[in-house]
Amino acid sequence: MSQTQALWWASESFWRKTAIWVTAGSFVVLIFLTFDTVKQITAGSKRVPAYANALNHRIDYVFDAKRNFQVPVIGPEEPLFGKMLTETEAEALVSHGKLTTQAKNCMDCHTLLGNGAYFAPDLTKSWLDPAWGSKETREQTMVEFLMNPTDKLHNASGRRMPNLKITEAEARATVAFLKWMSSIDTNGFPSNFKPIDQADAAPAPVAEPAAPAAAPAADAAPAQQ
Amino acid sequence: MLEPVKLANFFIVFFSAASVILFGASYALLFAWSRVKSRPRLMMLAYAAYAGLFISVITLAFAANLFHNGFWTFIVSLMLIGYLAAPHAIWHLCVGTHADEHGDAQLKAPI
Amino acid sequence: MAAIGISTATMNGGQKLAMKYFTVAIALFGAQVLFGLLAGLQYLYPDFLYGILDFSINRMLHINAMVVWLLFGFIGSVYWMLEEEAGVPVVGIGLANLIFWIFTLAVVVVVLVFLLVQVGPGEQKSIWLITEGREYIEAPRWADIGIVVCVLAFFYNVSATFAKGKFTNIGGVLVMDLVALAGIYLAGMYYTPNISMDQHWWWWVIHLWVEATWEVLVGCLMAYGLIKTMGVRRKIVETWLYIEVALMFGSGILGLGHHYFWIGTPEYWFTIGGFFSALEPIPLVAMVVHAVFDAGHHKLKSTNNPALAWIIAQAFGNFFGAGVWGFMHTLPQINLYTHGTQWTASHGHLAFFGAYATMVIAFLYIALQKWRGDVYMSSNLVGAWKWKWAIFLLHAGMITMVMALLISGYEQSQIERAIEGSTWMGYFTAQEHRWFMQGMFWRQIGGWIFAAGFVLLAWDLLTIGKRETRPALQVQAE
Repeated sequence: MSQTQALWWASESFWRKTAIWVTAGSFVVLIFLTFDTVKQITAGSKRVPAYANALNHRIDYVFDAKRNFQVPVIGPEEPLFGKMLTETEAEALVSHGKLTTQAKNCMDCHTLLGNGAYFAPDLTKSWLDPAWGSKETREQTMVEFLMNPTDKLHNASGRRMPNLKITEAEARATVAFLKWMSSIDTNGFPSNFKPIDQADAAPAPVAEPAAPAAAPAADAAPAQQ
Repeated sequence: MLEPVKLANFFIVFFSAASVILFGASYALLFAWSRVKSRPRLMMLAYAAYAGLFISVITLAFAANLFHNGFWTFIVSLMLIGYLAAPHAIWHLCVGTHADEHGDAQLKAPI
Repeated sequence: MAAIGISTATMNGGQKLAMKYFTVAIALFGAQVLFGLLAGLQYLYPDFLYGILDFSINRMLHINAMVVWLLFGFIGSVYWMLEEEAGVPVVGIGLANLIFWIFTLAVVVVVLVFLLVQVGPGEQKSIWLITEGREYIEAPRWADIGIVVCVLAFFYNVSATFAKGKFTNIGGVLVMDLVALAGIYLAGMYYTPNISMDQHWWWWVIHLWVEATWEVLVGCLMAYGLIKTMGVRRKIVETWLYIEVALMFGSGILGLGHHYFWIGTPEYWFTIGGFFSALEPIPLVAMVVHAVFDAGHHKLKSTNNPALAWIIAQAFGNFFGAGVWGFMHTLPQINLYTHGTQWTASHGHLAFFGAYATMVIAFLYIALQKWRGDVYMSSNLVGAWKWKWAIFLLHAGMITMVMALLISGYEQSQIERAIEGSTWMGYFTAQEHRWFMQGMFWRQIGGWIFAAGFVLLAWDLLTIGKRETRPALQVQAE
């Protein structure tokens, strides 16, 4: 046990070099990955569709057996607010919507792509939410809700969205942003999402989900009375 | 590639993942304590804690469907080997970095 | 030598400045607690302050107050140790003082705008003047630029002081870390309509600040603290600081991967995130083994009991908050269901408090000991019940909150996420569930206990050592 001579692998200089190399190495790897990731998430790529492509078409969210989760699918032509947009127009509209979500601080109640606060529903696939009723009335319902949410029906808990003085232009842009966001490939998040019926045939009435789901798996219940 | 956890297995996943860390820390703690105090008996307890860690990792791997895929199976084996070796490695590092001090201590306190 | 009573005379310039930073830090800690209580109440009484001070505003102030008070605490702590570490007075102390006042004033203006203006139209000028609306970095763009300027000025003070005096290893690590701290913040300062790109860079700031540069900053403070209060040898402490940097940056930088599962980023991040999640416990194991090793070889004689207690709390808090709570839901197979639920809130509360708040509080006690004139702070300290009860109440409150949020999050991950699939209906079905509501109720109880602990802590910080006449115990290295 009499180690009088400092061992090289326990010396300060060895660990200083190691710390520098590990940090630099990790950072270099991160930079390379970042280049690739940024390319893959630029609008117009496979994972993040071009703005006009998303706004001018139907977006669906269907199970992909090969990847083993739900993926967004761009369907037939179905322009937002009935108007076909060029890529420049579409980007300007989505950008206005995104700015609105930032200026109104949506993220401190809602989550977007799962990030944000947990006081209100996740907005990742809100464009596809069955709560908007039918496909035909969805756009108008969303705009009206955003502009004046206080007296609309929310839920039984009494939690309501406040009036954030959203103008009609801002509301329409926000809807565009939400529609575009729902077309992003999020690796199956959220899972098991049940989208609004968008079939062309006469829409079936949206079934009201029954009472809160049954108690969680019995074997999984921690003691909480 | 990913096989998400089944609803019935949620609690098992949370519990076994927490156990991995807790057993891992207990193993490290008992291991170091046994060496510091030169008590070989504690070493038995340390390896019992590692056995707990082993079971937790395997439970987690089944509940989180990690064996369904080569990469995640590799992660499981990495955890089993890495967590076993880590306290040994860190201990050597402690002894090594405190080498001077040991020398001093032995010189100052011969009896 | 020790003159008893408040004595700024024995304090150096950096330490006097540090006391200013600490004062603002504690005030902002109070603000964090206050707005947290208000936001928590809104879960129980949704009409409470509805339309006046909505949840989004309270929550924004709650998390921003936290970021800023920890930052002020860190900056103060660095100024506290700077002169002793470098061996010369702080270079550019005049600038440092000016920057303190500018920084504080900017914080006050930002808070007033958050409170009084709240939201703006969906235009660039709202982002520049009112709020950027991105979680944790809501501060408007003008304030972002201000923060970078302040951090750069801080970097100048620190690096110039070390350069003039002696560049210790702690100093070297610290200076490099500050470069990263300022540089990474720039990643959060740009606008894009693309939410995936937005979140991708946003995580650079949040993850690389919190889980890499802050950790290393705390490592530097801890290293100084160990040398100072426990007389551990510098050479050993500094070697271990490098080991820690290697482990933390080695697992932390690419640990960024576990935030890139669901925001549009490619599937290979599952692999990277999974791998580094498995590495996560290694630094913790290192700390455990090393702590036991040290305890076995040194007689612990503390010169400052409250500080030592908070440092021990930091070790446990970091272990449970980052380690146990992190690992429980980090694998993508389960994170798919816990991402964006109260699970995250549970983990966030414990990890931020456990790893960072505790460390800053420990440093406050170290500072106060000197401020009172190197007063005695070991066992049988006069009025010790206050710091003991404060630490107990703060932890009891935090643990209550974290367990309550965990139960709510557990229910939410099952009902909202797995069964209902995160629709509007699914979300509210989970929110109205008995388990969830009881979780929110107990979280609020925990919040009140925590608030009581904070009041006691603030009282103790103002009065500790006031009636003490004994000088501090002496512990010196070598």
